[in-house]
Amino acid sequence: MKLTPTVLLFFLLPPLLFYLTFVFIPILLSFSTALLDWNGIAQPKWNGLKNYSDLLFHDPLFWITVKRNVVFALFSMSEIPIAFLLAAVLSRYFKNGQRIVAALFFPVILSVVVVGQLWKTIYNPLSRGGLLNHILSLLHLEHLTRAWLADPKVAMYALYLVALWQYLGYHVLIQFTGIQNIPREFQEAATIDGANGYQVIRNIIFPLTMPFFKISFVLAFIGSLQAFDLIMVMTGGGPAHATEVMSTYMYNMSFDSQRYGYGSAIASLLVLFSLLATLILNAFFGRIERRYDLH
Amino acid sequence: MNPKGRPLGRTLLFGFIIFPLLVTQLYPLIWLLLYSLKSNEEIFSGKILALPKEFRFENYVLAVSSGHYIQYLINSIIVTGITLLLLIFLSTSAAYVISRFRFKYSKILLLIFLMGMMLPMQSALLPLMILLKNLGLLNTYLALILPYTAFSMPISIFILSNFMRSIPRELEESAIIDGAGPIRIFWSLILPISRPAITTISILAFISAWNEYIVAATFISSEKLKTLPFGAYSFVSQYAVNYGAIGAYLILAALPMVIIYSILSERITKGMVEGAVKG
Amino acid sequence: MKRARPFRLLLSLFLVGLLLSVSACGSSSGVTADQNKGDKDNGTKVTLVFQNIYPDASATNHKVMKKIVSDYMDAHPNVKIELDSLNIDQQKTKLKTQAASNQLPDIFVVNPSAQMKPYVDAGLLAPLNDMLEQNNLKQTFQPGILDYYTFGGNVYALPDGNNIGVMYYNKKIFDEVGVKPPKDFNELLDVVKKVKNAGYIPVVIAEKETWTGSFLFMNIVLRTNGGPGFLQDVLDGKKTFEDPAFIEAVDKFEQLVETGAFQDGATSYEYVEAESLFHSGQAAMYYMGTWATGGMETATIKDQVGVFPFPLVDGKGSLNHFMLAPGSAFAISANSKHLAEAKDFLNYFMLQWPKINFDMKAAVGLAQNVDGDFQKAGYSQISIDVLDLFKTVQGGDLAFDNTMEPDTAQVHLKAIQKLFIQKEPPEVIAKEHQDAFNRNYRK
Repeated sequence: MKLTPTVLLFFLLPPLLFYLTFVFIPILLSFSTALLDWNGIAQPKWNGLKNYSDLLFHDPLFWITVKRNVVFALFSMSEIPIAFLLAAVLSRYFKNGQRIVAALFFPVILSVVVVGQLWKTIYNPLSRGGLLNHILSLLHLEHLTRAWLADPKVAMYALYLVALWQYLGYHVLIQFTGIQNIPREFQEAATIDGANGYQVIRNIIFPLTMPFFKISFVLAFIGSLQAFDLIMVMTGGGPAHATEVMSTYMYNMSFDSQRYGYGSAIASLLVLFSLLATLILNAFFGRIERRYDLH
Repeated sequence: MNPKGRPLGRTLLFGFIIFPLLVTQLYPLIWLLLYSLKSNEEIFSGKILALPKEFRFENYVLAVSSGHYIQYLINSIIVTGITLLLLIFLSTSAAYVISRFRFKYSKILLLIFLMGMMLPMQSALLPLMILLKNLGLLNTYLALILPYTAFSMPISIFILSNFMRSIPRELEESAIIDGAGPIRIFWSLILPISRPAITTISILAFISAWNEYIVAATFISSEKLKTLPFGAYSFVSQYAVNYGAIGAYLILAALPMVIIYSILSERITKGMVEGAVKG
Repeated sequence: MKRARPFRLLLSLFLVGLLLSVSACGSSSGVTADQNKGDKDNGTKVTLVFQNIYPDASATNHKVMKKIVSDYMDAHPNVKIELDSLNIDQQKTKLKTQAASNQLPDIFVVNPSAQMKPYVDAGLLAPLNDMLEQNNLKQTFQPGILDYYTFGGNVYALPDGNNIGVMYYNKKIFDEVGVKPPKDFNELLDVVKKVKNAGYIPVVIAEKETWTGSFLFMNIVLRTNGGPGFLQDVLDGKKTFEDPAFIEAVDKFEQLVETGAFQDGATSYEYVEAESLFHSGQAAMYYMGTWATGGMETATIKDQVGVFPFPLVDGKGSLNHFMLAPGSAFAISANSKHLAEAKDFLNYFMLQWPKINFDMKAAVGLAQNVDGDFQKAGYSQISIDVLDLFKTVQGGDLAFDNTMEPDTAQVHLKAIQKLFIQKEPPEVIAKEHQDAFNRNYRK
């Protein structure tokens, strides 16, 4: 449809102005502190681009946190195909699929305090009766047992796993929403043509839910860039920065080290990276959509 | 096709994939229930399956009395309810424009909205504080409702616009031929079809508003305006944390959420059937 | 380009909006707060916002506060005190945001020494000297304690407590293993080995919260340095972190870790989680500030808890020197609209604080003198033991993050945490400290 002034006034202006006032401008303003040398209390000093040059060229830890975030994002995205298959199976073969989706979604609504504590109990060292180590020793894999969250080599992976577990239901819900969007007749027509379940999923459901893949991928990526609460609860970024990611680093710099400007510089780069990733994902899915000749 | 067509395959699927998954995803609920009845020493004993030695129902009594449960619950319902209404109104209309109208800047517009998704609202605390102070809204319900709504908009618009874009153009065109204008198309065509997506964004926004604490702690000072997370975190003192009471409080706080969710999911299922009949 | 027109309109609206809001934000810093609109509806009624870190309504500190506040409001019907009770992390975030936007509450909580200095420097805190003279409030405080809250001759905050770092131990485990409280570091290592062989955790520590390891480590420094003042000497340029006393302390600390003194996975333990290991009798020792005494009273092992000062290190130091932990403290905003009322209330509050705490059996580790017989009042043995230990104090050091500025402190805290997972040459740790110090103090 063509955009008319009426549409603009009724539909676009209110949300846009609201959003600009309460989100866009505050975020831009918070970035301006990235140019300051400021402890958050005293009179700020102008610092130019020094925070950025320190961050990009003299702070090896920053790049390590970036790398961890990227790995985190890759892990998070890897479960989306699984979530899609689950959603497809649930919507196609189960009459009460909606309820099962709701049940799978449950970990998402749990407070991170609880999730953290549950998994800390699972990851406890063998001497403290940790479930995972207990299972390993039952399988005669004692050499693999360890204090999962205190071992810098594996602690980060232990955290990725918790996020995978917690957000599986999230992606199932989104994929399920997408599949519901497909008119039933499409599926039925295909079945009459003699297509089997796999073919229906492959040729009908998959291409039509492409926009929801995009949603899931973008949310998984951004979600893992922002991962914060869970890490703070489980390891606090430790031991010795071993599980520090961009967001925890930003928080520690702003509030613990009281280097507000430096923290804001990290925050602005976080937004920049997220934006880049979203653009790349968008372009990627745009090509797939065109291949399937959608729209 | 009839979903009951292949019972054996379905049973196998359920038995070997869905059921184990359900166990791992729902186990925390049982764990949390046990947790809410334990003492700190039992919680940290490291035994994941153990029953409490004695069921400490006093944790629930504490949660309700010390944690101001009823009052905070009412506040949470007010804040979250208005947030959802406002959010649905603002984000469906924005998504409608972005997805159903062809114009030069629609991509840039979407990108501007998406930018808000990249940072949690906690990192904009200071500018928000100054803004709310100038509007005279600090320490009011609106100090929470406005930021919660605004910061839920990006993800909602993203999901909704993707959903609305996949609605076939033919439906719209036939409505135009019938003489419907953009407002009527929105109201009686796009909105009803988008019901699954609206439900999804409501669930996501509900969870984040219901559990949000840092912004609430910063912008609200009066006891009578505080929300549920204040109650749960009130059991966290500097050198003493009553984990059992937190567990009890979290269960009580999640209860309304679970009830609302089951009502909502009932309604979507119904909506789907209706849609199928109409189609 | 017909279609573009609505957009140009929108763009200009956006720009105008942006300008407006930026200028609004810019001007805001000059305007003082005009909150407290509720004040006007009752003629002279004054509302004071009292931000505090006692959120748990079932805990004693909250009950004590609530009692004093309601007593005061009964006696002063024109004053309403609104309690904003938050847990400590949120309170810190909130206070910083409020300070930066000139929205501080009337009364709030700050931490001693280096941590409150930025607030003092920014002129945000009201001097309390005049108020301390009223009703002889000043005389209720222990000698010297107010120094940690005094800058340029003005007292800016009044502490709720004063604690020292001690080693709690489980007498039953010590008896079972056949050891006595160690007097020297080598004896401590010996106790650790024996306790470990008997299947108990020798020392619990909550090293996810990095200050706990630092607190113990700085007690070793207090010994190897032969007495207090190491960090002050560094600040004054008389010593560096590459001083032998510091190097030796790192070495000793690494010996503790190597001997297996701490529980597995210590770096993921939170405060209460670690403490519960001691409370439930799984651990033999627990190094902590004396504020932990109250929690012992409800523990499974409450009758088996003893306490001793941190041992000497190769004969160095003195058992009368302790890690000192002057408590968080109440301050009044310099911009409070009701400065007089706030001062009057805080004066009353601090006068009542020791009395009500004593009545509620929570008077161990206060910063004020307490009148009353603890034994007669039914305080437990461990409380009495701790109070006896207090009498032996002849000075000591503050925690690292109360002495040094935050960025240096963070480098220190992370460096100590690293020692729990890998051995590093002490010289490397020392240099890491010195580099951070130079970066932040010799700009």
